[in-house]
Amino acid sequence: MPQIIDTRVDVELSADGDPLAFTWDRFEHTIIGQPQAVFTRTRWWENDGVPTRIDTELWRVDAARGGEEQHRYDLRRDVDGSWVLALDWG
Amino acid sequence: MNGNGTGVPAGGFPHLHVASAYSTHYGVTLPEALAGQARAQGSSFLALTDRDGLYGAVKHLRACVAEGIRAGLGADLAVHDDDRLPLGRVVVLAHGGTSGRGYAALCRAVSAAHQTVGAGAGSEPSIGRSELAELAGLRTLTVLLGPTSDVGEAIERRATKEAGARLTAWQRSMPAASVCLEIVCHLAEPGSPGSVTPATRMLALAEQSGLPAVLTNAVRYGEPEDAVTADLADAARTLTPLAELEQPQTNGQAWLKPAGAMRQVARMVVDAGLHDDGALARLLRDTELLADRCTLDPQADIGLGTPRMPEARVIGVTGDPLAELWKRGRSGVEERYAASGRPAVESAHTRLEYEMATVEHLGFASYFLTVSRVADIVRGMGVRIQARGSGVGSVLNYALHTSSVEPIANGLLWERFLSPERQTLPDIDLDVESARRHDIYRTLFQTFGSDRVSLMSMTNAYRGRGAVRDAGLALGMDPGQVSAIAKQMWRFNARDFRRALEEKPELEPLAAEVRASQQLDQLVDLTARLDRLPRHISVHPCGVILSDASLLDRTPVQASGMGLPMSQFDKHDMDPMGLIKLDILGVRMQSAMAHAVEEHRRLTGESIDLDRIPLDDEPTYELIRSTRTLGIFQLESPGQMELVGKLQPEVFNDLTVEISLFRPGPMKNNMPLLYLQARHGEVMPDYIHPRFEPILRETRGVVIFHEQVMRLFDELTGCGLGKADVFRRHLGKPEQLPLIEAYVREQALTRGFPPTVIDRIWTVLAGFGSFGFAKAHGAAFALPTYQSAWLKTHHPAVFLAGLLTHDPGMWPKDLLVAEARVLGVPVLPLDVQHSVLDYRVEDLPPGYAALVRTEPEPTEPEPTEPVPSGPAGPRRGIRLALPELSGSTAAERARIVRHQPFSSLQDFRDRVRPRRSSFEALARVGALDSFIGYDRERRHELLAHIQSLRGTAVTVHDDQLAFEVDLPVPRYTGDRFTAVTSLELRGRTQTELELRDLSLAVSGHQLARFYPLFAELGVTPASALADLPGGTEVLLAGVRRATNTPPMRGGRRVVFVSLDDGTGPVANVVFFHDAQERIGGPVFQTRHLLVRGRTRRSGAKGVSVTGDMLWDLTDAARLVRQRHSTERAAEKAAGDEARAEALAAELAAVAPANVHRLWSVRSA
Repeated sequence: MPQIIDTRVDVELSADGDPLAFTWDRFEHTIIGQPQAVFTRTRWWENDGVPTRIDTELWRVDAARGGEEQHRYDLRRDVDGSWVLALDWG
Repeated sequence: MNGNGTGVPAGGFPHLHVASAYSTHYGVTLPEALAGQARAQGSSFLALTDRDGLYGAVKHLRACVAEGIRAGLGADLAVHDDDRLPLGRVVVLAHGGTSGRGYAALCRAVSAAHQTVGAGAGSEPSIGRSELAELAGLRTLTVLLGPTSDVGEAIERRATKEAGARLTAWQRSMPAASVCLEIVCHLAEPGSPGSVTPATRMLALAEQSGLPAVLTNAVRYGEPEDAVTADLADAARTLTPLAELEQPQTNGQAWLKPAGAMRQVARMVVDAGLHDDGALARLLRDTELLADRCTLDPQADIGLGTPRMPEARVIGVTGDPLAELWKRGRSGVEERYAASGRPAVESAHTRLEYEMATVEHLGFASYFLTVSRVADIVRGMGVRIQARGSGVGSVLNYALHTSSVEPIANGLLWERFLSPERQTLPDIDLDVESARRHDIYRTLFQTFGSDRVSLMSMTNAYRGRGAVRDAGLALGMDPGQVSAIAKQMWRFNARDFRRALEEKPELEPLAAEVRASQQLDQLVDLTARLDRLPRHISVHPCGVILSDASLLDRTPVQASGMGLPMSQFDKHDMDPMGLIKLDILGVRMQSAMAHAVEEHRRLTGESIDLDRIPLDDEPTYELIRSTRTLGIFQLESPGQMELVGKLQPEVFNDLTVEISLFRPGPMKNNMPLLYLQARHGEVMPDYIHPRFEPILRETRGVVIFHEQVMRLFDELTGCGLGKADVFRRHLGKPEQLPLIEAYVREQALTRGFPPTVIDRIWTVLAGFGSFGFAKAHGAAFALPTYQSAWLKTHHPAVFLAGLLTHDPGMWPKDLLVAEARVLGVPVLPLDVQHSVLDYRVEDLPPGYAALVRTEPEPTEPEPTEPVPSGPAGPRRGIRLALPELSGSTAAERARIVRHQPFSSLQDFRDRVRPRRSSFEALARVGALDSFIGYDRERRHELLAHIQSLRGTAVTVHDDQLAFEVDLPVPRYTGDRFTAVTSLELRGRTQTELELRDLSLAVSGHQLARFYPLFAELGVTPASALADLPGGTEVLLAGVRRATNTPPMRGGRRVVFVSLDDGTGPVANVVFFHDAQERIGGPVFQTRHLLVRGRTRRSGAKGVSVTGDMLWDLTDAARLVRQRHSTERAAEKAAGDEARAEALAAELAAVAPANVHRLWSVRSA
């Protein structure tokens, strides 16, 4: 079962714009392989106001803290550019 | 290549698949914004591939040139196979560097796709694959097979084998190297369209088949924020609320992504599958290579900016067009000016030489010959034609008979039309009879060939109401609620909706609702997003494109509503594409005048050449000065009636001035008042400086015309009239004003103008801004104004027949009928024996008056001036036309005309086979009275008989002669019938019956029944108003004919109501703010009004009434009736009595001296 984290994290990006690593709870997690981005649309008309984006940006990454076992995580990038660690898939 | 190993220059990504907002209801970003964004991203190339056409192509090309990037063009087209089975949608891209062959093939492909439209109901544009293959020969086109193609569709559902087979079919059909696979990935969720999996499979298919693959983003908008607008477009296109969309866009990633983001996508696609080494670099390199191949040279490939005139032989020229134009110009001057004397001929020749120098310099000889050829063709069809616009300022056009207004004596300038400083193609507008416009178009297609002619299109953009409706639809709101909001969307731009809600007090209730509702709040934002976006294209009301045989290689065409081909380019695209556009505008007044002339010829055998009537006919000016201008071109509105009364035109130029003054710009700047004061000697004309007097004398010192501004600039600076016109046009641009001012001040000083004069004239020029009017326009309008006034003066019957047939003006036909009555021209009732499809003038039947005048009528007030009754002969009347019968069908009317006259009612029924409703309506209004000996009393029997008819009509073959045997005909005689009373007729006057079935009162004025009341109350007839001094208190009554609320200088609304009481021209009543408050809603709503007010005189003949109070005439009539009955019964019925008394008291306040006993009373 995925574990809901929902915490702001700092993400280090490569020159190409891909996430390389994120810092969660003071520990750096290194991303392994080519991360995949997924944009999921919202039913924005059901909410307040008109949004600037109609989709949310999620990056599904495999990452490991130091030499520990790697986990699969969902990183969400919000419109303001800030990153949120959404899920830990284990 | 570069050092980053991807094959793409570090700067930009070449987008090959981009829809602009001109892909209506699909793309949402304008081409200019897309090109600007591409350059800002460091891109050196951008293709535009609108859906089903090249709608945004020219704007894209110009934007790319302006941004300094390379442009590509293509179209997103549906394709079908030889069995007409759909093959999905593909992108067709034109190859550059082919001397235009690629672009031509693209145009032809788009046109071909549109040829299928209309083949079946609701069919969408689609091109056959074999046709596409043919056009793609000689390496002209590349076809991209992407996710929406049949191949992509198979890939999407993992049918790899089928995808391969479909691709093979494409490769077999298409020429070598003309097919690429298109990789699109919008990073959608796995399993949905636009995800990485089908993209990587498509890439694998390319590798297997050995075809190149290119990466695109199937762009629908520039920035990610615009994805919302694309959602709206989807809802509007499918007429489905967002919540119910079957295929909403998967996410918001179809934007014009910069290179980094596109490379990221490419990496994810490549990484998601198993691909050859170097797959990523190859994909990006092949994309770049295709962009190179599709880079179009604006000049060599498109011919941007190069005019293409029809070939000489097509316009009837064998030799050099310039020599031919010289020849025709010179002989035209001799012919046109022959009657004006040698000096006029000489000065016309001088002017011609001057004009020809510019024509030669600009290389426009063929253009003038083309326009003159078109004018000849139109005239050859016997259609009235009149040039309008700045082209009227040219002696050359006058000599060629393109224009019929003489420019030199009218003070019109060539430079307003054409000069070396003015690089755009000139514009000559031709006004023709509206009823013949489509015939003219067809003839032009036949004469020039459909490969050289096309209609122009126009782009209709979203405005407030449409935007709020489509936004409401997208949100799934109640249509009634949206409609109520839409009704409030005026006098501000939808894009400023939110600000308007904050600022405008009348929107406060709506603003409160918006604050309370999340959905309404969204509606406001969404409406603003849609505002100004292209919505659909349609045929332009008058634009016709004329070119050489290369036309269809330079513009795609599609069918217009009238069936003729229409270019996908609009008026803004004409000049850049070097396309000549003629405005051939249908003008109803031209049709009305042609009808009048034709009727006159039919009746008398005499031909009137309206273009040769003298322009100094005194009775014509007298009629205009009398303000009885109903039906006269340009002069018939209440405001024009008033202005014409003040201005009192005496010569043709006065009409030009009048028409030019009555424009929003001059009105707002108070020019009419300034001019009138000087004209009537109330103030001295102010010419500011003696050197300006020759320029401003004709308008008494008031600057009205563009031509005057140009001449002032020239006088001040010596810049020449061509340059002066450039200055004039820049006056409307605030950023240009300081530059012009500096130049004018410097030059004017050296040319000897004192600084105070310069200060004053500059204030006038700068204040003029872009307002005012080209005198060429005014003079071109003044000609049909004069012609129609001349016809009304000398041939009122045929002129009114023309007006009634073609309905060119602002007033209801019922008022035209009333005007005819006042002019002493009887209007004859509908009669199946005589009425035809248009209004004809016919001899009055003997004893006519006794037949129709069965109702109380006013004694006809003596016309204020004698109405000329044309050539001697029997009195004539205008016969009502069949189309006026409400609810009748065109087929019925055609059969009536075809089989006239009818020997009996049975004959009529059997041949015309009218529907029951039409049959009864004809009987009610008396159109069948011929079958009862025109005895109106027997119409009851006739109607009862028709209603009792049950048997079906005997079908009589169209060309069979009428039965000569007597059919059983009921005898409408004898006692049996006198007892018949039809409920539909009982108690109704002929006027009421006519108003019901014809909306026209022919036999008498609809207010005639009130005339006894008017006499009793002392109502002033409209025809008598002009004789009253100003400030006289009057009662007026009438039926409302028009309501106007012109914008006023003070900002306070003024309501003009035009009343018709049947005695003459309409009486115009003005209600100012205080009266509006006192009266309330009825000022707009009451149909039959009784008004108390005071006369207001303005000028010699100008009179209007300032309204003070208003009552509903039917209420007043009822109250007066009640008063009568109470008087008779000597009873006191409290409530109504009090009201009647109050009314009586108010009415009694009007001085009895003003009671005009013109209302003849026939006691009922």
